Amino acid sequence: MPETARSTAPNSEEGNLLEVRDLTVSFPTAEGRTEVVKSLDLDVPRGGAVGIVGESGSGKSMTSLAIMDLLPKGGQRSGSLRFDGTELSELGNAAMRRMRGDRIAMIFQDPLSSLNPYYTVGLQIEEAYRSHRRGVSRKEARKVAIEAMDRVRISDAARRVDHYPHQFSGGMRQRVMIAMALSMEPELLIADEPTTALDVTVQAQILDLMSELREETGVGLIMITHDLAVVSEVTEHIVVMREGCVMEKGTAEQIFSDPQHEYTQLLLDAVPRIDDEIGALRTLDAEGAQP
Amino acid sequence: MTRFLVGRTSGMLGVLFVVCLFTFVVFFVLSPDPAVQVCGKNCTPERIDQIRLNLGLDRPFLEQFTTFLTGLFVGRTYGVGEGAVQCAAPCLGYSFQTSQPVTEMLMQRLPVSATLAIGAAVLWLLAGLIAGVLSAVHEGRFLDRFLAGLTLGGMSIPNYVLALVLQFVLVVVLGWLPFPQALPIGEDPVQWFLNFLMPWVVLAVGAAATYTRLTRANVIDTLQQNYVRTARAKGLRQDLVWRRHALRPALTPIATMFGMDFANLLGGALITETVFGLNGIGKLAADSITKNDQPVIMGVTLLAAFFVIVGNMVIDLLYSVIDPRVRISA
Amino acid sequence: MAALPTSLEAEGRSEDSAALGPDGPRPHRVRRFLAALRRDVPTVLSAAYIVLVILMAIFAPLIVKLSGWGPYEFDQSAIDPSLGGLPLGTGGGISGEHWFGVEPGNGRDIFARIVYGARISMTIALSATLLTSALGVVFGLLSGYFGGMVDAIISRLMEFLMAFPALIFMIAVLSALPAENRQVLLVLVISIFGWPYLARIVRAQTLSLKEHEFVESARASGATGLQIVFREILPNLAPTIIVMTTLAIPGYVGTEAGLSFLGVGVVPPTPSWGQMIANSVTWYAVDPVYFLIPSAFLFLLVFSFTVLGDRVKVLSESGGIRS
Repeated sequence: MPETARSTAPNSEEGNLLEVRDLTVSFPTAEGRTEVVKSLDLDVPRGGAVGIVGESGSGKSMTSLAIMDLLPKGGQRSGSLRFDGTELSELGNAAMRRMRGDRIAMIFQDPLSSLNPYYTVGLQIEEAYRSHRRGVSRKEARKVAIEAMDRVRISDAARRVDHYPHQFSGGMRQRVMIAMALSMEPELLIADEPTTALDVTVQAQILDLMSELREETGVGLIMITHDLAVVSEVTEHIVVMREGCVMEKGTAEQIFSDPQHEYTQLLLDAVPRIDDEIGALRTLDAEGAQP
Repeated sequence: MTRFLVGRTSGMLGVLFVVCLFTFVVFFVLSPDPAVQVCGKNCTPERIDQIRLNLGLDRPFLEQFTTFLTGLFVGRTYGVGEGAVQCAAPCLGYSFQTSQPVTEMLMQRLPVSATLAIGAAVLWLLAGLIAGVLSAVHEGRFLDRFLAGLTLGGMSIPNYVLALVLQFVLVVVLGWLPFPQALPIGEDPVQWFLNFLMPWVVLAVGAAATYTRLTRANVIDTLQQNYVRTARAKGLRQDLVWRRHALRPALTPIATMFGMDFANLLGGALITETVFGLNGIGKLAADSITKNDQPVIMGVTLLAAFFVIVGNMVIDLLYSVIDPRVRISA
Repeated sequence: MAALPTSLEAEGRSEDSAALGPDGPRPHRVRRFLAALRRDVPTVLSAAYIVLVILMAIFAPLIVKLSGWGPYEFDQSAIDPSLGGLPLGTGGGISGEHWFGVEPGNGRDIFARIVYGARISMTIALSATLLTSALGVVFGLLSGYFGGMVDAIISRLMEFLMAFPALIFMIAVLSALPAENRQVLLVLVISIFGWPYLARIVRAQTLSLKEHEFVESARASGATGLQIVFREILPNLAPTIIVMTTLAIPGYVGTEAGLSFLGVGVVPPTPSWGQMIANSVTWYAVDPVYFLIPSAFLFLLVFSFTVLGDRVKVLSESGGIRS
């Protein structure tokens, strides 16, 4: 199938890795279909990073799930999703499945519930690798898993690979998720609130790690968050969303120094202050709970 | 693990002890004088006194109870002198009606009840899991609604009514099946299977319905878990997502319920065995109840309690093996 | 017979998360919930049958006057002594005089016995439901709210009762105890083994409810423990209790009938549906009507309660909005 043929080298031609045009996502409700994402346009440059910022319910998570074709039951999407020259919306289920994980990977907000408690983290990394690389032995897959865990700075990876998710701390679990996502060497990583469930010091570590890994691997990144401060650390481009619409987009510098939209100004003023307080509380809680 | 085992075992012994005490109080204190019953119709006061002495009924309650417990663990002797009878452990006494040792009676009937229970359990587990998963896959569609109606009916039909209806239709009217008899499997496996088919179905229907609902709810719940979304996001094949990430977490809790329900089967077996005239422990209990044969009733009760308690313990152990979260922290 | 120990618990589990919670305008939600129930066809049908049986139970003496035969009257003219007492005429002796036919052997009017049997079924099932719910709610609340020793003792007691082979033990106890006041004993025995299943769920919800702000504020305003439990927490548990109770009723109907079927329930000649089915066993090949009528009444009653419980659960979980 030509559309899944993997381009090993980045295209020499100038262009975006992902071009989203006129994306609309809707869900059925008692009053007919409600649009949670309205006619969204989004570009992710090759190896570039874009942050989507908005409060909960702004449609930012639905945007990412729509790209992955993983919308919850009843969700419908329309519009064009062009990824590396392939139109994702025209792919069949099987072709889209091969795309997921292999070329577009995703990590989620709550790393504990996102990992299956019944299996070792090693197995959960291996199974992704083995389902995309036919004929890979368990041994090789295990080596890949250990390497991937090494790469996200999990110490003693060779031993930790056989542990279960609940034996890891919150930050370590998110590292495992990142290792799982990057083990396939995808071209695009979608991170949906990857640090929200973590306490502040760990948040910083994870963000640093993501920046480092971007440099090492050249993976493109979509970072979804409600926290402008998080986005500013990792991404060059920012899209501000509200109620399913794009309010403002630009480089991180533009947004921070010269916000055009009132709502962006509001986010800039309000979010960090509130978040600091919550962050402080959360740190205390976390210290009490996890000795 | 050792500490876990020791804790569970001592807890189990504690519950068993209370069950013994409770049954003992009910049967030997609240119920009419056993000596009169053993003695039967042509009874003289002397004979009653003799029986009292032999059964130890003249002793204070506490002594009777400790003797009973001793009998359970090391055996006991009934009567004194020439007429003394040795009852080996686990001694549950002698039937008032047949004078057979209760333990022996229970052991004779155990194979029939075990056949009935195991067959029914296999049937209900298979039916419940398959129907439940199918329901979950077809959530909200025709098959799901159809199975929902069927399970509500299955939960509602009293098993003796079902037994009689099936027997009337399949045996009396259509003649497709024989009247159930407790045959051993050895001689004619096909006949054996046909004989037990109806009792198995009757005993399994209620539980199968419950397990269908349970499985459906668990699978639907699990499919909404974040880790299933992760598995999809990794690009796993659909069947792997289902098998590994949806079914195992959904079905594991059912294993724990299964143990408890299986151990509790003796209650349902009582009705099934009575209706079909199968000579198992349930039938023994029902017969003893009509004849007021207290040692036998008590023996069945204790045996049933023993199964339930041991069943729960086995399930706890099993759970700690199949659920890594319990395994590591235990 | 719904004697499966885990069935209730299984139904109750998802209830933990589905409690309507302390927020939201209560009267409005209740009204919407009731409206949804009224629009739901299975609910209406099963409720109609239950009401019919209840009316039958209440007005049994009147109804029997209308039909002409009492439940204890023998009609020798309706049976054929030369055929071992088989009812005369077709369909088990159904006629204008005996609407559902007569019992073989003694000629008692089946209709009258069904009507009076409804009394037994309903009285015992509903009393057992009331007593079980009362015990379950009170013990669950106390255990969940006060914790410590109270909780330890109640929890051990619940574990003990749930480890018991309930049906066998009920049969054994009932057969050992004297036959007087059998109906009271039935209710007691069923309830003693039934309450832990509700109590466990009430306990779990109380545990989470007592951390809520409205409990804190009641405590701050000087309410005593018992006041908080019964005035603040109990009202919030109402939806759960209603659902769990409706789900439990069919089990009690079935248990009473089953115990009567086994001969340890109500004492003859008092009619009970389970006992009628038991008596019909020896005749069912020659007089299937005698077996079918009480069986159908019993099955429909258990079925109606089961469907009602299921619909109440589904509709209360979806907040009264049809999905």
